[in-house]
Amino acid sequence: MEQKWWLHVMVPLGAVVGALVLGSIFFLFTDRPPLSVYSKMFEAAFGSRDGITDTLATASPLILTGLAAAFAMRMGLYNIGGEGQLYAGAIASSGAALLWTDGMPTPPAMAVVFAAGAFGGMVWILVPALARAYLGTSEIITTLMFVLVADRLLDYLILGSSSYWKDPLSFGFPQGKVIPDAAQFPPWFDSRVTVALVVAVAMVLLLWFVWAHTSFGYGMKVVGDAPHAARYAGIPERRTVLVTLLISGSLAGMAGAAEIGARAFRLDPAGLRLSIGFTGIVIAALSRCNPFAVALVAILLGGLQNAGQSIQTASDIDVPKSVSLMLQGAILLFVLGGETFVRYRVVHGRSALRAAGAST
Amino acid sequence: MNANAWVITLGAAFAAGTPIVLAALGAILHERSGVLNLGVEGMMLVGAVSAFLAADAWGNVWLALGCGVLAGGALSMVHGALTITMRANQIVSGLALTLFGTGLVKYLGEPVSGVKIPARVVELDVPGLGDLPILGQVLFRRDVLVYATWVLVVLVSLYINHTRRGLALRAVGESPATADAQGISVTGVRYGHVLAGGLFAGAGGAYQALARAPSWNQEFTTDGIGWIALALVVFSSWRPGRALCGAVIFGFAIRSRFTFQAQEITVIPNVVLEMLPYLLTIAVLIVISTGSTRQRLGAPAALGRPYVREER
Amino acid sequence: MTDSHAVHPGPGGPGEPVLAARGVVKSFPGVLAVDAVDFDLLPGEVHSLLGENGAGKSTLASVLCGAYQPDEGSVTVRGHGVELRSPRDGLDHGIAMVHQHFRLVERFTVSENVILGDERLPRWLARDRIDDEVARVAAEFGLPVDPRAHIHDLAVGQRQRVEIVKALYRGADVLLLDEPTAVLTPQETEALFETVRSMTAAGKSVVLISHKLGEVVEISDRVTVMRSGAVTGEVPRADFDRHELARMMVGRDIDLDRQRFAARTTGAPCLSAESVSLVVGDQTLLDTVDLEVRSGEIVGIAGVSGNGQRELADVLAGIVAPTSGSVTVAGQQIGGRGALGARAAGLAFVPEERLGTGLAPSLTIAENMLLTRRRGSLVSHRAAREDARALIERFDVKAPGPDAMCRVLSGGNAQKVLIGRELMGDGAPPTVVIAAAPTRGLDVGAIEQVRALLDEARGRGAGVLLISEDLDEVLAMADRVVVFYRGRVALVQERDEVERGAIGRAMAGVA
Repeated sequence: MEQKWWLHVMVPLGAVVGALVLGSIFFLFTDRPPLSVYSKMFEAAFGSRDGITDTLATASPLILTGLAAAFAMRMGLYNIGGEGQLYAGAIASSGAALLWTDGMPTPPAMAVVFAAGAFGGMVWILVPALARAYLGTSEIITTLMFVLVADRLLDYLILGSSSYWKDPLSFGFPQGKVIPDAAQFPPWFDSRVTVALVVAVAMVLLLWFVWAHTSFGYGMKVVGDAPHAARYAGIPERRTVLVTLLISGSLAGMAGAAEIGARAFRLDPAGLRLSIGFTGIVIAALSRCNPFAVALVAILLGGLQNAGQSIQTASDIDVPKSVSLMLQGAILLFVLGGETFVRYRVVHGRSALRAAGAST
Repeated sequence: MNANAWVITLGAAFAAGTPIVLAALGAILHERSGVLNLGVEGMMLVGAVSAFLAADAWGNVWLALGCGVLAGGALSMVHGALTITMRANQIVSGLALTLFGTGLVKYLGEPVSGVKIPARVVELDVPGLGDLPILGQVLFRRDVLVYATWVLVVLVSLYINHTRRGLALRAVGESPATADAQGISVTGVRYGHVLAGGLFAGAGGAYQALARAPSWNQEFTTDGIGWIALALVVFSSWRPGRALCGAVIFGFAIRSRFTFQAQEITVIPNVVLEMLPYLLTIAVLIVISTGSTRQRLGAPAALGRPYVREER
Repeated sequence: MTDSHAVHPGPGGPGEPVLAARGVVKSFPGVLAVDAVDFDLLPGEVHSLLGENGAGKSTLASVLCGAYQPDEGSVTVRGHGVELRSPRDGLDHGIAMVHQHFRLVERFTVSENVILGDERLPRWLARDRIDDEVARVAAEFGLPVDPRAHIHDLAVGQRQRVEIVKALYRGADVLLLDEPTAVLTPQETEALFETVRSMTAAGKSVVLISHKLGEVVEISDRVTVMRSGAVTGEVPRADFDRHELARMMVGRDIDLDRQRFAARTTGAPCLSAESVSLVVGDQTLLDTVDLEVRSGEIVGIAGVSGNGQRELADVLAGIVAPTSGSVTVAGQQIGGRGALGARAAGLAFVPEERLGTGLAPSLTIAENMLLTRRRGSLVSHRAAREDARALIERFDVKAPGPDAMCRVLSGGNAQKVLIGRELMGDGAPPTVVIAAAPTRGLDVGAIEQVRALLDEARGRGAGVLLISEDLDEVLAMADRVVVFYRGRVALVQERDEVERGAIGRAMAGVA
């Protein structure tokens, strides 16, 4: 018995509404008119040209980390280290930009930035990927540990030493060297949107293509669903796991490259710590690992983040940015809970839930 | 090399490690029941800010601690409901909780940013023992909560290994089907220990805010200790006693960077010292993946998987 | 007449059964598992249930211990009618079943497993006292165990002992052992029988559920033989006759079905195994197997499942490499080339586990078509869908369409998809078809269809290797019958010289 298709849409929608209602209660408690807050947020995110472009720009790295997590999660692999791979990608791409792109024309320079970012991310997931593919070590904690290592490394490169990345002229307030002009992504349409968005969308299409039309993608499907069937069909299980994780890592690394090339222009530890990697994991879960849904959800969350930013500055409402973070978290939790009602049918009388689609 | 500097560092390591040990104890309890909770960071943050606000409002340290503990517990119940009853994905639920908790704490902490903590936890010199050379200074001149934590480590360890309920706990985490067949309520055990995990994490966060940091500044107050606690759980092979030792090693590795600097020792770059806990954890994880050690030191077998009773 | 939780209500008379079943009927959707069976067990007795797979003996035992509730009929304990609603109820009445798949926590010690869930224990566990108590109970019944040993260090035979101690510790008087020797070495089997003798000497009663005739004959005081859910005979020890018991297990001679699948002409060998052995750890799963299938014939592998058939199929299909020996398909050695190499040589394989190995359950029919096709770097779902549509039509599969998930198909339809895909082959029909348990769990109509398909393949010139635990099926379809026992070829008979009794004995390991 198949689950009704409309449940797949209505339940998450209902969950979002539920979260917003909860938020309203919260706002009422703190003397802020909820409707006014929500409408201002919506306007900030999608109501104006600037709003939309800002949202898209913010969403670009989120799409990439969302794809990174989704690609692995489709096979039941949990790459929790997207955050660290993002940092590693940022380090690699800023380093490569500083080293090689001075004097280059812009297009190849941007390619270098992205390539280096992908490479950095891939290197960063290599050890956990190998351990998982060939030793069966759970990738959850290993990738997480690498996040913490990357975090320290980031601080070290800028604050803790005189490394290649550090701007030697910035004594009082350590900063990273600014990357050459060539490597700085030019803004499009007078806004914050850059080629990063195109790359993100390209990755969405590429991943969908790999999943739907390539032999490797097919292998991923089979390994993720029934490892015995993979053996039966001659699909190399371990290699598939390894390559999937490496691709996942490089996508997150590319998100780091996007941050460097489109926004920060320098290795900026504080500016990189925006939980983009972790948010990507939740985006992936909410999108059920579908690349197009990932893009959609990432845009919505990007909008939410931007909206939070701008309400903070709008003086008549006085809602701090952290509220949007909370709303984000609440929405995620509600949708997670709502998932259950899509996957299971609640049977009255007994508290057991029976899986939808199970045969008698 | 100045020995005294090292002694001081070691003592500092004990103190620095305490909130981590508390959170790790909680994590050990719920992971032993088979539930993975990546929301530990969120629960510690929530505990920290609650304790701080309570201390700010009412000035009583113990009340503040209590608030922190309860806050952590409350948040953990959301995770419990999502993962145990609704069978949501444990990893995603935990992360979502951390994100939510981070936002919540930012929101609540804004108004008190920079405010100094009004009350502090009492430092206690254990009479007699406190005068022992080296050991005395390191171990016995700490505050009450550090001592309480040691006691808790012993109690939790005894609970897990020597009580009937501890046996049930371990069974649920290793083989829920077997435990179920023997009449143990898997749901009940898991809920109970997720709650315990939350309470401990809240306590750790509260302690961090009240005793370790002079004023409220979110980033530096907690500095990712929730994640370190998770690393510690793996590093200690899910055993409380080892968690305590591990926390000291972790704490020492982190604190010694200051001592190295002061002593002008540059043999090991500081950054490597700071990363040492994580690198060690990774090494341990890889080692315990291989056959024989997996049984002795590995994770509870059912960790991370929701339990669905097989229907006929 | 429910006897609520009065444990051990008096020993009763000397001849009074400690456990009895009258007219028990139990059915599941589509299958009548137990058909009006009477059974009784005297104190201190070993009364075995003998029969092939699917004979109904495990189901009956589950009813006796409380895991299943009978549709009709009654169960009595020491003369009192009882309603056992769960295994716990059974245990309260002193009845415990030791399953084939143990329920033990690997990381725990023996003692910890034994006492797990025991409410009578104090809160604080005094390890030493508990260890001593467990050791005492074990020793009392002749089951030497080390209470401090960890389960993961124990061999299978020892683990089984722990399961038995678990039951005895809870005060069980009746022990139902489900296929206990299936996973034991001969030495461990001997040790188990010693244990059974000690237990019955101490007054316990044992029901041994098994298909192994030789062992049942060795240890039992009485044997009840079951076939297709009904009792075909109940024999006391004094009257044991192996031939007669084997006949009761496998049924009468002459099956008219045999006439339908007439022999055809056969050609050159298309699949052959030479001295194939498979050793994993310290277990010899396949022991110098020589096998040959010629094109246009069906070779049937008979035998109770668990005697190496699954491993044989995996090795012949190239999924597992043999430890020694060689496998040749259509003249090509497929030794190290794996599953893909075997398929390239024209082999098709219908595995035992249709959902999970043969078909990926969450993938659609169309997607599953690609599983055994040659794949370039790109896959064409359109072509796969067309393939799937052709299959659905040709094999009359009842499915919503090529985009239906295989998981939602009924057993019969899923099997048709699997067999259909394999018989259609990749571009050309296969030269060799290995079919393992192809009709297991299917309804009568589907069974007919599947058998017809295999026969048709044979008619087109393929060589078919049929591995089935259903002896009737093998005898009806095969041109040559090979009996497998403990990883070895025990007997080979051509179609016209088939003698049911000899086959039954070979299946049971009797000379």
